[in-house]
Amino acid sequence: MEAPVDGAAHVSINAVSACVKPNERVHLLGLDFGSTTSRALVASATLSRSSASGRMEFCDTAIEFRSEPVFTPFIGQTIDIVKVTALIHYWLQQSGLGHASALNIGSETSHLNTNSVFSGGSIITGLAAQADNAAALSKVIHLIVGDSVIATADDPCLESWLAFMGSCSALSRYHIDKPILNLDIGGGTTNAALGINGDVLETGCYFIGARHFQFAVGSYQLLALSDYGAAILKDLQIKANIGDTLNTTECEKIISFYIKALEAIVLGNTEFFSSALAQAHTQVAFQSHDYPKSIITFSGGVGELLYQHAAGGALASTNFFGDFGIDLARAIAHSPILSANLNTEQPENKGRATVYGLTLHNTEISGHTIFLPKPNCLPLRDLPIIAKLSLQSPNDQWHCAFTLAAKRELGACIQIIGVDALNHDKLLDETRALAQKIKAYWLANQMTNTQPLLILIEANIGKTLGNYVTDWGQCMQNMIVIDEVPLRNAHFVNIGRLHQQMVPVSFFGMH
Amino acid sequence: MAIKTLKDLKAIKLPKPSAPLPYFITMHGRTFTFRDLKHVLGAADISKAGDRKAGLAATDEIMREAARAVLSGLTLQHFFDNPLANNQGQIDSVMWVNYDIDHTTFATIAHFTFGELKDDLLKSTGAHIRQIGTALTGVMVAALTKLLDVHELVLLAKKLKTGASAKARTVVGLPGTLSSRLQPNHPTDKLSGMTMLLYTGLSMGSGDAILGLNPAIDNVANISATLHHLDKIRRETGAPTQICVLSHIKTQLACLKDGAPVEIMFQSLAGTERTLTDEFDVTVELLDHAYETMQATSPLAGIAENFMYFETGQGSELTYNKHEGMDMATTEALCYGLARRYSPFMVNNVTGFIGPETHLDNHEMIYSCLQDHFMGKLMGLAMGMAPCYTLHSQVTIEGQQMATELLTAAGANFFMDVYLGTDRMLAYFDTSGHDDQTLRETYNLRPAPEFLAWAISRGIFIEDADGNVQRGANWGNPKIFCTAEGKFQESEFQRLQESVPAIYGFENAGARPSNRVARLMKANQAIGREAIYADLRPAEIGDIALRELHTAANNKSEHLNDPALGAMLADSVLKTLKAEHNDVQIVISDGLSAEAIHHNIPNLLPVLLDGLNSRKLNIGQPILALFGRVKLAESIGDALAAQLIVTLIGERPGGDALASRSMSAYFAYRLNDKATQKAAADFSGNAEIHYEYSVLSNIYSGGLPSIEAGSVIAEKVFEILQYKAAGNRLENLMQHHLIPH
Repeated sequence: MEAPVDGAAHVSINAVSACVKPNERVHLLGLDFGSTTSRALVASATLSRSSASGRMEFCDTAIEFRSEPVFTPFIGQTIDIVKVTALIHYWLQQSGLGHASALNIGSETSHLNTNSVFSGGSIITGLAAQADNAAALSKVIHLIVGDSVIATADDPCLESWLAFMGSCSALSRYHIDKPILNLDIGGGTTNAALGINGDVLETGCYFIGARHFQFAVGSYQLLALSDYGAAILKDLQIKANIGDTLNTTECEKIISFYIKALEAIVLGNTEFFSSALAQAHTQVAFQSHDYPKSIITFSGGVGELLYQHAAGGALASTNFFGDFGIDLARAIAHSPILSANLNTEQPENKGRATVYGLTLHNTEISGHTIFLPKPNCLPLRDLPIIAKLSLQSPNDQWHCAFTLAAKRELGACIQIIGVDALNHDKLLDETRALAQKIKAYWLANQMTNTQPLLILIEANIGKTLGNYVTDWGQCMQNMIVIDEVPLRNAHFVNIGRLHQQMVPVSFFGMH
Repeated sequence: MAIKTLKDLKAIKLPKPSAPLPYFITMHGRTFTFRDLKHVLGAADISKAGDRKAGLAATDEIMREAARAVLSGLTLQHFFDNPLANNQGQIDSVMWVNYDIDHTTFATIAHFTFGELKDDLLKSTGAHIRQIGTALTGVMVAALTKLLDVHELVLLAKKLKTGASAKARTVVGLPGTLSSRLQPNHPTDKLSGMTMLLYTGLSMGSGDAILGLNPAIDNVANISATLHHLDKIRRETGAPTQICVLSHIKTQLACLKDGAPVEIMFQSLAGTERTLTDEFDVTVELLDHAYETMQATSPLAGIAENFMYFETGQGSELTYNKHEGMDMATTEALCYGLARRYSPFMVNNVTGFIGPETHLDNHEMIYSCLQDHFMGKLMGLAMGMAPCYTLHSQVTIEGQQMATELLTAAGANFFMDVYLGTDRMLAYFDTSGHDDQTLRETYNLRPAPEFLAWAISRGIFIEDADGNVQRGANWGNPKIFCTAEGKFQESEFQRLQESVPAIYGFENAGARPSNRVARLMKANQAIGREAIYADLRPAEIGDIALRELHTAANNKSEHLNDPALGAMLADSVLKTLKAEHNDVQIVISDGLSAEAIHHNIPNLLPVLLDGLNSRKLNIGQPILALFGRVKLAESIGDALAAQLIVTLIGERPGGDALASRSMSAYFAYRLNDKATQKAAADFSGNAEIHYEYSVLSNIYSGGLPSIEAGSVIAEKVFEILQYKAAGNRLENLMQHHLIPH
């Protein structure tokens, strides 16, 4: 039934706030290049305010394309860029995001329907991230996919965070008070992340993975050995060279070391990692002593095998993958410490957790009342986060931050912290005071009209803060204020193009 | 299958309108004169707010009984021969359709007085009553209804339960059944939010009548997306039912053409042509076209016998002041006469939705609901009921529950299922899945048979050895639909939960929500009600000096019950005002939530003024106007000759405590130069347009916080003044960068 809207229904009413188009779908793209395998994911989602967090989030997510994992193409230790190029084109074409004409290998032009991609990320890890590989991969991704996809290389804590978000984000919010520790075990690394109610609190990374030892398929005849694998052999006094076959006892010793290490991570046993071998396997130490009774979940390739095994599914025959993946999965299932929640709590996406996390969680969405007088300056890539400041920060910190920002021709980011959006009595005064302070330091450091200064703030005051700083948009310099983005401990931030009055924000260089 | 072919309008036999006749009667020494039949009908009803406002209600009991005595003595033929013409003395298209009656049956009863007709029906069985109904116009049905008391309205309607069913994918309205429309409305049409509400309702055995969504945004893309989503949920759950998105009929036709699953077509109806065409943008010809299109191309063609879904409710014609001098019950009956033409699958009556200007309290709402249900059933419609209320009326949840008990006794085909009775999109209160199950248990009723079989298979219901249907282990557990390979998916359930605002929990106590959930819901509703009745406290809205002006509403009661009073300044105030010719005039008013003003203005107004001052605009001293409505802007704008009036006003609270503190900013741009007025008239098609409006809504801490709102409003002011336009014309000019000289 229709009723008049307070006597105004017959006049021309236009809803100013209708900038968010309900159920208009945007595309999200994730590319994951790891030591062993690579994969792609294309999802679509709507942009909507979450009733739980109150922030803009991706909602009604649908997976449009999920590639099969393929072995990352290498020529020796060098990434095979020709094959990678063909692979990306193939994925895009399969997902409907790219055109068939783009399948010419080595094409230098982008045929991606970039307008439909709201955000995306590619993560390059392990061997793929070493030496020149990462630079070559980043370049080719940029050429093919364009600037809506951000390439990140060798960022272990980000990987841990992504794997947790890709596998346990909703599960963690469902078990609102219970900590969840996720171990993402892949070919080269184990990425640990502990979170509560959807927020990651701790991350760590260890060189524990299935492919430090590579075997002839169906046997334990060594074909290749990583430096970490060699260190284990040496420490365990196993004398084996490439071409030799490990016996059962030797395999069990190696697996036992891995299991003890994983148990030590879960139990917060720092003593275990005091040995030289364990220290060598530590990339970023995980410190989680405060939450000993966490729910333990697994993701990554080994995690996938593990849950398959726990569900009664038959694992492939011995060493089907030519590595220790199946052995690790079996051993974890036999460890009472590691398998405590195996049959009760099921994370999502398992083997694809990282690429899911990358596609669906790595990008935050800004509020839709941001201060952005020059939208054409977007996207902004690799902006260093040079400071976290509050009203209470000492003046020399403010001075240093803005001096540093002025030297960054391509722009810089400052995070503003300590604004309590719920304190209505003080919020207006705080906003004005903050604006005055920013304005004073900003104007004191001569910046060009094209030099972007990005202010990130969690409270929903972005537009007003920017207006006060710039005298209601009358200042010509390039100030941007983006709000409603949860702040992360990261060194860099990327800002994507404006869409429905919002921008995608992604962080990297996590610490 | 019994699918009806539409009768050519020209073939409907019509009387010629004649000059209205006065009616006289003397009762207990008092002589009453009723100006015409419309006034007899108006006075014969119980006194309702809308009819009082229209000057049609009887002023006392004796006058009411006098009118009823007049009605009792008039024959059906007299009513046939004296059609209620519109204000131009013509039979409008709605009345025209109402004359499409069974003349053979009419010939047998034409000589009956309405008193005789009433007695005859009370002595009759359902089949006879149903047959008589085919021979009556809406006006005749309304006249009869005014002679019936509560017991008679319930009893006669109950006799009409057999034969009141309709068939789409399921058959709804069979004896022994009580069905429900599951209404998964979401404030932003979020699909996952709809899914959560659908899962919840389906798990309570709701939705056998229809899964029907009221959309927040009515355009083809959004309606198609939501239709496809409802269809997906229907298929995935396997629930035998049908779907509908209640957008405008033109939008649905476009969606159908695009291949969207428009299984049942919805439209709001009105009992006068002027309301139907001017306000609802619908004609009889368009309804005919929609009906015939559905018969030919609906996904249910070949399965369903009925394709249309109509909503009505007493008072909409009166609210638009397009009731042609008729009372609310009569125009409502005329809606049913129009609906009858299309043999709808469902007619849903939402009396109480509009507010206190039509139904002030429980008594008025309950009686109207009983009238409407009987009138619809007598005219052969598959009537469902949605006794509902808004917080600014005096209708309460208790009154609504009494209405549902009586309507179930009367045999209503279906009620609504709105999660915990609180609609998150429309800010009103309706029946819930708990209510529907409570009524089924109380009156030993079942859902539609196809749906029941499905619900038993899902463990939602069980049928015991004696054939009684009871709640099963899965009743009220939406998690049963969040499974994969037989395992509950916590993550999916969590994501769905997070997409619905004000979700208070899923614990039940039998057929009722648990006490914890009920208390939470009622506490939130209480805050919403309080927001309406709270008085504006000027001392709590900051220290910026305001000038206080009075609207024509003298108190809260007048303000709530007569929206027109709050849309104008009091005459005494108008006399004191002079043209100021400012660029911007800010007006602050409590509207329907003083609390919204208390919570938002202290931070919003300083930011807004800072913004406006930065551009050196001429700003009138902000005005505080108690008891105001949106259109007050025009009264003030005309008096002060302001270019742009920004009205900051409290919105009608819903059931969520936080959202009850929501306000809006309305921008009323005065079209005071000829070129601009012409441009606006050309754009809108309204030659008389003198204001254009934009609106920024949802200003509260859970939506757009007040500090940000101040900036957004200031920027919108800059745009409106720069482009000399508001509303859709402004957006159009901005899109093409057409800044006027």
